Amino acid sequence: MNGFRSFRALAVNEVRASVRNRTALIFTLGLAVLFMIIFGLLFGGSGVSVTFDAVNNDHTAVSASYLKALRGISGVSVDSKSHTAAFADLKSDSVIAVLVIPRGFGAAIEGQGPSQKVAIYQAGGGSSSTAIADDVVAQVTAGFAGGGHASVTLGTPQSAEVNQVTEMDYMLPSMIAYIILFSGVNYVAIGLVEKRVTQVLRRFRATPVRSSTILAAQVVGGGLTVLLQILVLVALGVWVFGAKNYGSWLLLIPPIVLGTASFVGIGFLITSVSRTSEAARALAAMITFPLMFLSGLFFPISSLPTVVQDIARVLPLAWASDALHQIMNDGAGFSAITTDCLVMAAWAVVTISVAAWRFRWD
Amino acid sequence: MISTEPMPAATRLGGEMADIDVTGLVKRYGDVVAVDGLTFAVQKGEVFGMLGPNGAGKTTTLEIIEGLRTPDAGTVTVLGTDVLAHPGTVKERIGVQLQATALPPFTKVREAVQLFAALYQRSRPVEEVIEEFNLGEKADAYTDKLSGGQMQRLSIALALINDPDLVFLDEPTTGLDPQARLNIWSVIEGIKGRGKTVVLTTHYMEEAERLCDRVAVIERGRIVALDTPRRLISQYAPGTTVEFANVPGLDVESLRKVPGVERVVADGRVSITTRKPEIVLHALLDPSAPWVPSGGADGDAGGEGEGVIRDLMVRHGTLEDVFLRLTGRSLRE
Repeated sequence: MNGFRSFRALAVNEVRASVRNRTALIFTLGLAVLFMIIFGLLFGGSGVSVTFDAVNNDHTAVSASYLKALRGISGVSVDSKSHTAAFADLKSDSVIAVLVIPRGFGAAIEGQGPSQKVAIYQAGGGSSSTAIADDVVAQVTAGFAGGGHASVTLGTPQSAEVNQVTEMDYMLPSMIAYIILFSGVNYVAIGLVEKRVTQVLRRFRATPVRSSTILAAQVVGGGLTVLLQILVLVALGVWVFGAKNYGSWLLLIPPIVLGTASFVGIGFLITSVSRTSEAARALAAMITFPLMFLSGLFFPISSLPTVVQDIARVLPLAWASDALHQIMNDGAGFSAITTDCLVMAAWAVVTISVAAWRFRWD
Repeated sequence: MISTEPMPAATRLGGEMADIDVTGLVKRYGDVVAVDGLTFAVQKGEVFGMLGPNGAGKTTTLEIIEGLRTPDAGTVTVLGTDVLAHPGTVKERIGVQLQATALPPFTKVREAVQLFAALYQRSRPVEEVIEEFNLGEKADAYTDKLSGGQMQRLSIALALINDPDLVFLDEPTTGLDPQARLNIWSVIEGIKGRGKTVVLTTHYMEEAERLCDRVAVIERGRIVALDTPRRLISQYAPGTTVEFANVPGLDVESLRKVPGVERVVADGRVSITTRKPEIVLHALLDPSAPWVPSGGADGDAGGEGEGVIRDLMVRHGTLEDVFLRLTGRSLRE
């Protein structure tokens, strides 16, 4: 049969139509670039600057070199303060976080005492900067603890490996996730409702094309549109805004594909309960906007209340965002994003199956 | 009183298989019976019209024949193939124009023709079709920028892209201005001229009279008459129709008693069927006639000898009269 020729023609038409749809592009790629400019350039500048106070209860050579390692990172400034002074600074917003080094920190690092926790206190609200502060501290700490020996001091390779994640670096994976979310739902699903309402689907079905070919072309065409937009976004991010990817570009493919699939699935569910494209749009907005703010795109999930965090962690966008940030900001390998990918795959399978079962042609 | 059976002799001319053979077709939506036991056949090379008001079941019937809907009962054979069993085979050989203009968004005319050409195993050259339907100037325009007539031409062009033997046109001229309508009519005559079988639905009587070899009058999912337009008229609307604007208080019963009057239908207009128009007209213009509303609907505006007759028209029977006669209501209500 000529199934492939039909499929290709339909998918090409879909991509071409999506690229020509300027209104839709403004809401996906356009807003993503705008967010990068706002968050990246206004708050970030050439490099991130985070200021925090450190309360050192340990007073050992290890904790001193730990602080020195933190200060060694450009854009990070750390002042040693008393407990009271540090929290007063936090309250007056003159620092972004307070780091408390517990007594016994040095001994723990040297393997001579029980394990200790370095605590970070943040002012309420949170921002991308606090995420970066978290990130920096977490990595320096990991560098120290990871060694587990007295040899871990200033200037060790572990502390040198810390990625200086800028606002721009944080925003790029966020905006990839944003495009996946909005395009997956809008291009594929709402596009399908519109084709159903305007009888385009019916017209296609009056030709010998198989129904599955029509749907596959819609999904693949939508997926390619997402990919094209991500390519443009990444090119702009890297070459114009100077964002860095500390991980593998190829490794981004699984979370992008699975993330897109899960949002296409959610979009299809929206499609199956909406009679008109207006209803589908309204429902999509009700789902996508909260998702966007709950899922660590603009500020880390850890800065949200615990209950909200629990909700956010069920939704696929949080996992997509996590995987993309881990790869691009932390240089994580596949093992670190396996869970993310599995959760997204589960979302995709469940939503697409339910949607396929509930799908109406007219 | 009216046989819904098509003439068997006509359906199997020379023993050749009809292009479409529909038997006992039923389609229900919940409690509503949209198609109620339709049986008819469409011969090769004829233009077959389905005439009826909105909601009569024309589109549903077409869509079942096109393989887009599944009937609750009945069999449909198209070009010798059972549609319900092999819809793909049938779709490859038919051309379809749906009632609503249904084209993908952000697509140019040439791209739309190319797209649909790619959906069939066999298709005509894209440029040739564009030229034939006079769309060359608009080939690089977006389809949503076309005028109503251009859009219909494109939509018929797409229905013919696979060079089908059988073409379905669902209300091809609805919503078009008179000039665009004439243009589409000559397009359809051209399709017929190339020996293709055409099935069209319409609620325009002139369209059916001009284009169709045979017409099925459909009402509430049933065929109430099926014949050539000429024979339908001579059977159901013989003689002359005298028509004028209705007035409040008009006594229709006494009108029926006027000599020569065979039939009176009164709604927005009063329509009198007669084979003796001179006698009827003479009686109508008599101001002292018993059917004139008391006090005279005319009032002070009535001039000498005008009576209540306004907007008088005398004409021969049309399919519109056939429809009125068969269903008791007008087509476009």
